[in-house]
Amino acid sequence: MFATYLNSLHESMSRRVALVLFGVAILIAIMFNVVVHVRTLPDGATMLAVGAQPPAPSAIAVPSMLESILRATGSLWMLLAIFAAAPLLTATLEKGWLELVFSKGTARWSIFLGRYLAGLTLYSLMFAVAMLPVALRLWWMTGIGTWQMGVALLIQTFGFAALLAVAALVTLPQKGVALPVIAAAAIWLLTPSLAMRQETFYRIFSSHFVRGIIDWAYRILPKCSELEDLCVSFVQGRTVTSWWPVWSTGAFTLIVLGLTLSLLNRKSF
Amino acid sequence: MTSLAIEVLDLGKTYSAFREKTVSALQGVSLRVELGTIFGLIGQNGAGKTTLIKMLLGLATPTSGAARVLGSSPRDPSTRRRVGYLPEQMRLPDYFQSKNFLRYMGRLNGVDRTVMKRRIPVLLERVGLADSRKPVKAYSKGMQQRLGLAQALVSDPEVLFLDEPTDGLDPLGRKDVRDLLVQLRTEGRTIFLNSHLLSEVELVCDRIVILNNGSVARAATPQEFTCGTGEYLIRVAAVDDAVRAAVAGVAGDAAAEWEQNALRFTPLDRAHLNSLLDRLRGVPVEIESVEPVKLSLEEFFLQVVSGQEP
Repeated sequence: MFATYLNSLHESMSRRVALVLFGVAILIAIMFNVVVHVRTLPDGATMLAVGAQPPAPSAIAVPSMLESILRATGSLWMLLAIFAAAPLLTATLEKGWLELVFSKGTARWSIFLGRYLAGLTLYSLMFAVAMLPVALRLWWMTGIGTWQMGVALLIQTFGFAALLAVAALVTLPQKGVALPVIAAAAIWLLTPSLAMRQETFYRIFSSHFVRGIIDWAYRILPKCSELEDLCVSFVQGRTVTSWWPVWSTGAFTLIVLGLTLSLLNRKSF
Repeated sequence: MTSLAIEVLDLGKTYSAFREKTVSALQGVSLRVELGTIFGLIGQNGAGKTTLIKMLLGLATPTSGAARVLGSSPRDPSTRRRVGYLPEQMRLPDYFQSKNFLRYMGRLNGVDRTVMKRRIPVLLERVGLADSRKPVKAYSKGMQQRLGLAQALVSDPEVLFLDEPTDGLDPLGRKDVRDLLVQLRTEGRTIFLNSHLLSEVELVCDRIVILNNGSVARAATPQEFTCGTGEYLIRVAAVDDAVRAAVAGVAGDAAAEWEQNALRFTPLDRAHLNSLLDRLRGVPVEIESVEPVKLSLEEFFLQVVSGQEP
């Protein structure tokens, strides 16, 4: 699995999509660092200013700044990173390559899991490149701990794992990268509406039966938007009131990934 | 210990897709391949050759019957570690260079890094790619095929499955591959060869199976396939009425047909042939040559697949 994992990282670096996304991540990191100004007052206290806005004390401004960064780009990275990670899965099943790798003495599930983990790593790296430099700079300049961004990175990767698991499952019965990307993007788009179903779907559907289906869809599907809220709670230093989005998304990911690997192992090529 | 490298028993494979006709790719195929031999599989397109190879590599699941490679199931990864495979249509990702491609293939087969460090340059030398510094995307079809052969050998396999190994190679390259196959057999490896180039199969294989419409049509050694048809070609210096009359007198019910100065003659037995030759000498006429007529593997194959089996 480790050999496949390393090879997949190597492969992703040769793909234009991944390179473009890394470029964008670097630009975002530069942009954040350019717009954020830290001023040290004579008494040693620090003030933080974003762009032309009036400066605010760092103790208040740093968590607020981190929240803005997360809200602005955190979830969007999931959608973009799917474009870079999904081809790693579909390329495994390309004719002429699958015969080569699946005829080797490594179990299919292990090869596919290696590529899946490489996809997750790719997302984490992009996220880290875009978000962590400004978090580290703020910590360095203000002395206010920004380690919560590390936790946010883990939580967001957790949400991405669910989307990539959906893409992996959709990869099996067909060829091409379009459908896995569409499936993962559809889930990503659907989850905020499901989380706020009382304000969205309930207004359209009055039937108890349909609302029941919508409730079940909410319970089963990953909760990307709520995971983002969880990240914000962390960076704001608030107490997390419910771990439901974490464990339900984790259960979804494990079941979908387990099903994918099991089907792959049985598949006749 | 078994002396069989591959054992296939009553293997069948049916493909069925939603709202599509069920297709039977293989029916009741049974064959045995001895260790240390080169086994040739030939057949028309769609005869089921690639399906059979895929099942022997655990890539496809049989609908019926069983296949064993080196005494174990090919679905077991530990069996596949002892096997090398060159697929017919190999796709090499652009980002590889020959060495890291071979390294990755070796790692998938559990080959130790230090072993690979020694083995990879030797393999590249063996397939004629030692001097190549180009990335794989710049390789010609022939170079890709050579690299494919090298990856099949990277885990030092006991059994090799080669699907059209000389595809895309020039005549010199094809000869190199033939020599390599013979050398690999000398080293005790078993080779399962699927090729459309029948002359090649005839030259190197110890045993050949003809697959037709998903079943084994014939299995024999190349010598058995190309053995005499019972017909002889007798060339004489000149043909005149006396010669024709001499032949007609001896031939009787046996088939005898003149093609200019050559007589195609199917004697009843060897004595019958000798009496014809004696009669010709008595005419007298100079006999230039007497040759038994043999089928080439290609001729034999064409007769089998067209239903005119000899």
